[in-house]
Amino acid sequence: MREETKTLTFAAVICVACSLLLSGTAAVLKTRIEANQKYDEQRNILKAFGIKMTDKTAWPREKIEAAFEDNVAEIKTDNGLPLYTWSDDGATKPSKYAFPISGKGLWGNLYGYVAVEADLETIAGITFYKHEETAGLGAEIEKAYFQDQFVGKKLYEAGLPTPFTITKPGMAKGDIEVDGISGATLTSQGVQNLLRKDSAAYADSFKIRREN
Amino acid sequence: MASAKKLLMDPFSDNNPITVQVLGICSALAVTVKVETALVMALALTAVVTLSNFVISLMRNTIPSGIRMIVEMAVISSLVIVADQILKAFLFDISKQLSVFVGLIITNCIVMGRAEAFALQNPPGASALDGLGNGIGYGIVLISVASIREILGFGSWFGIRLLPESYVPNGLALLAPGAFIILGLLIWLQRTITKRVED
Amino acid sequence: MEYISIAVEAIFVKNILLAYFLGMCSFLACSKKVDTAVGLGFAVVFVLTITVPVNWLISHFLLEPGALKWLSPSFNDLDLSFLTFICFIATIASMVQLVEMVLDKFFPRLYHALGIFLPLITVNCAILGASLFMAKDQMALGEATVYGFSSGVGWLLAIASMAAIRKKLRYSDLPSGLKGLGITMITTGLMAMAFMCFAGISLEKKKENISPPAVQPIDDQRNPEDN
Repeated sequence: MREETKTLTFAAVICVACSLLLSGTAAVLKTRIEANQKYDEQRNILKAFGIKMTDKTAWPREKIEAAFEDNVAEIKTDNGLPLYTWSDDGATKPSKYAFPISGKGLWGNLYGYVAVEADLETIAGITFYKHEETAGLGAEIEKAYFQDQFVGKKLYEAGLPTPFTITKPGMAKGDIEVDGISGATLTSQGVQNLLRKDSAAYADSFKIRREN
Repeated sequence: MASAKKLLMDPFSDNNPITVQVLGICSALAVTVKVETALVMALALTAVVTLSNFVISLMRNTIPSGIRMIVEMAVISSLVIVADQILKAFLFDISKQLSVFVGLIITNCIVMGRAEAFALQNPPGASALDGLGNGIGYGIVLISVASIREILGFGSWFGIRLLPESYVPNGLALLAPGAFIILGLLIWLQRTITKRVED
Repeated sequence: MEYISIAVEAIFVKNILLAYFLGMCSFLACSKKVDTAVGLGFAVVFVLTITVPVNWLISHFLLEPGALKWLSPSFNDLDLSFLTFICFIATIASMVQLVEMVLDKFFPRLYHALGIFLPLITVNCAILGASLFMAKDQMALGEATVYGFSSGVGWLLAIASMAAIRKKLRYSDLPSGLKGLGITMITTGLMAMAFMCFAGISLEKKKENISPPAVQPIDDQRNPEDN
């Protein structure tokens, strides 16, 4: 009996000690972790709006947070999807809109944002912030040379989503095609599919917005 | 103090946790695509194994044998959670790249193995030293593998471009098979130098 | 159909051992003999099939942000996800114990065949890894069960073939430094390369090609050399 009491007491002490340690750390670090996650999201949205923040010294964290605070507003579309708007300093009407995109790549899900200009047709920028693609092949989707090709292409035309296509490398022509990544056809195709899927989901609410 | 030096230095090469004791290989391969992530992983593991060895060694005379494993697991997982939270709070970008592998330190056999094999029989000071040594030994292998993979796969080291732009990155080094083969060759090299033969 | 796709993916394409390097320690330690390897493999399949869905329930009803609201609405914004690791590992440890007791009572022969490997599974990172991947990918319960089972099968496949190869390797003339661990790692690398040929296989491809109205069919010719 004594042995059992000892075991139980020991287990209880360990449990209390561990839970105190864990809740303590969680409580102390919670705000910081949440701030980090929020900052990460803000930086990605700004990237989709076409703001280049590669130079870390010119873009300290405070500046990015301030830029987001001043220019970006989060609204919902009529069917309840998240939409971010960018208004230039002092302007009343937004000049760019961004929405989240996600879909299957080769190894896992791809997550990103795409932004369109005030005409709600032309792509202003695209970014991918989370993926599990092969480094050097599929992971090239996060590189500037791939993302920059999208700028100026048409995601919608006459109110309808375009058949946006990622072609074989070097084959893209016209304003609804961009070059795919060599050696990563399936990842490129994933990007194409998710763009078509998500642009279709926003088509109706953009149509209403365009008419207003 | 000769033994303290031995405790610390032995796991660097002669009794390396990865290449000789065959512990903790899983994470050695998964996080070695870049030197930066490998370094952070090695630091996190060193901290966890040092502290867990110390704590478990403090309790070694009071632990009831029936719940020994569970208690060890509880101590280790608490320390890993703390490490994970600290990474998320202060090194957010890297913690995103490490994703689930920080959590897998819990089942990293080095931590459990050193607790069972060393901390349960030895005083806290020596145990902490043993943990530190093993953590560093693990780090040495991790960083060597990561260096080879990053140089071959990206042409850079620690994010600094080493090879000229004309170098075509070798994607194989970044994929799973490349990791296995590079570690295999490293083990061969190390065993040729130390003249260790496995039957 | 979706379940078959998940299974094929978890067994071949994203093999938990060959693509994610999980469960390496016991893979290296127990692949010297074919029968122990297969025994351990089955034990892993068994434990994975049980623990992944159980951990799904735990994370879904206890840990996720707002998961506790079935208890009381006031817990709505309680987020216990920082306890994920410790809860998962506790489930695994207790499930292994439970499986051990059940096997001992009802299937003593299987129990003795598995012997020491059963308790060792607790520290097999493939088990914890599968649970963590399940939580990260936000699967549904059915998917999680299939995923757990097929990850186990993938692991079993890898360890059984490795044991067979090592049996043959014993008769080959290797440089002395390469013997044992070195050559095993390189062989595993070659196996991983072979398994990579399965990359990109997906049985739900037709459904996935979402196209808005008036679109030409997507070029279906895929380059076989793709990643």
